[in-house]
Amino acid sequence: MSAFFGPVEVDGRVPPRQQTRVAAFLVSAHGALARQFGFALPATFDAAWQTELNAQFYRESEIVSLLTRATAWIPDFALASMAASWEMAWLPAPIDGIADHGHGQAIHLAILAHAVHAAIRPAALLPMEANADDPFAFALRRIEFESSRLLQAQILFLKGPDLVPFRDAVSAALEQRHGEVRQLWREVLGSIGISVANDTKP
Amino acid sequence: MPFLNHGSYRIRYELDGPAGGPAYVLVNGLTQYSELWGAYRDALIARRFRVATFDLLGQGVSDKPALFINQDDHVAVLHRLIGELGDGPIFLSGISFGGLIALRYAIEHGARLSGLVPMSCFAELSPQLLLIGNALRTGLTLGGTSYLQDLLLPMNLSDQWLKPLLDKLDSVKRQGWLVNDVYALQNLMESFLDFKPLTPLLPSIAIPTMILNGEFDFLTPRALHETLRVEIPDSALVIIPRAYHAFTLEKAELTADLLARFAEDVMAGRWQGNKQVLIAPEDPGGALTPFPDGYDHLRAIPVQRMAT
Repeated sequence: MSAFFGPVEVDGRVPPRQQTRVAAFLVSAHGALARQFGFALPATFDAAWQTELNAQFYRESEIVSLLTRATAWIPDFALASMAASWEMAWLPAPIDGIADHGHGQAIHLAILAHAVHAAIRPAALLPMEANADDPFAFALRRIEFESSRLLQAQILFLKGPDLVPFRDAVSAALEQRHGEVRQLWREVLGSIGISVANDTKP
Repeated sequence: MPFLNHGSYRIRYELDGPAGGPAYVLVNGLTQYSELWGAYRDALIARRFRVATFDLLGQGVSDKPALFINQDDHVAVLHRLIGELGDGPIFLSGISFGGLIALRYAIEHGARLSGLVPMSCFAELSPQLLLIGNALRTGLTLGGTSYLQDLLLPMNLSDQWLKPLLDKLDSVKRQGWLVNDVYALQNLMESFLDFKPLTPLLPSIAIPTMILNGEFDFLTPRALHETLRVEIPDSALVIIPRAYHAFTLEKAELTADLLARFAEDVMAGRWQGNKQVLIAPEDPGGALTPFPDGYDHLRAIPVQRMAT
């Protein structure tokens, strides 16, 4: 097991099988976020924070679009069952201590987005010898960079004054979601011969 | 790779050297990881010290809490680690953020320590440090870990160190970028949002304390170290010539020698802090010299100290 993609091809590109599996997972995760932000997006805004929803929706959609075009896709028959389990994992889960449904939905979405943006670092899988001009490599760098920007909205919301009364419940739900997302990510990478560096959880 | 448990979190640590020897515990700065102490481990073990290093909660291979990191957690982790070291003499040193954690540990558990070495350190956020910290945090959130590294490298290291690396800075930054996550660094930085100055508590540090400050430290300049020197009774301030904030990286051989000599002096009963101001030698093994009498060590030009 390596901590990085590879061995890379002669031209420095990530092997298509690894590209396909990782891109499929990222499309599933960011696609789920795009859908959920899309559902949460009102037709007209009556609060300033809703502009951020708009930004998140389009950035997530952009990531999906980017991956569909930048990846060297190959047939991968294992993806069907894997994708089904990923899609199940993105569904909203109740959060202990949050009784209000609408509030709970907003917190769920922020938690899922935080976990996807923070816990998944696809560019960190690129080895030094990866071709910098490879569109897939470039896309991963862009996704990781954009994720750290998008994450700021989730941090502001989850650490913000509105959720201070629910801090323990939110923190616990977030840690759990991080664990779930990391577990899925680890499984995806393990299936293509990559062990996640810098991940101590058993 | 051994781990300590802190609640539900795991802390990666490393312990090397003779089990019965006096111990040095080294605490990372904000963007550090424990491998960066490798030269210290080798040098101190060669002088028969036991050496403990670890990744702070939120750093490197240690677990990274998703939303909040409290500075109390770092002190608690440190206490747990020091608890693993037995009853022998323990010397604690930390750089920058790690120096602050070491100070807090010495305030709360000083009786367990034989000596303290805060390096590139501070007990309070001066307006400059507060604003620089805010700007660095903004840099992190807008530009990621790589941009934070871009800001810190020229601020904290000398031209002599940087020049031969200019065409390979990406590889210099790569390991720090790989092991540090934006959200976790951000959590560490945001643990300062409710920071209370330690200055009123410094006089309670009764142990021998050697304060190390780079001559050209821009991030935590002399005045911040002066607070430590003035308030910690058995302290001495040692200025590292031609050094910047990250002198532990740039001048590892010299700094490791100073750490070893300090501990050896304390254990031999030779240490006398006396709130002296000293200048470290340029090279390991050289003599420390007193700052010229009558001149103001807080100035960058030779100005005579005002009588107080």
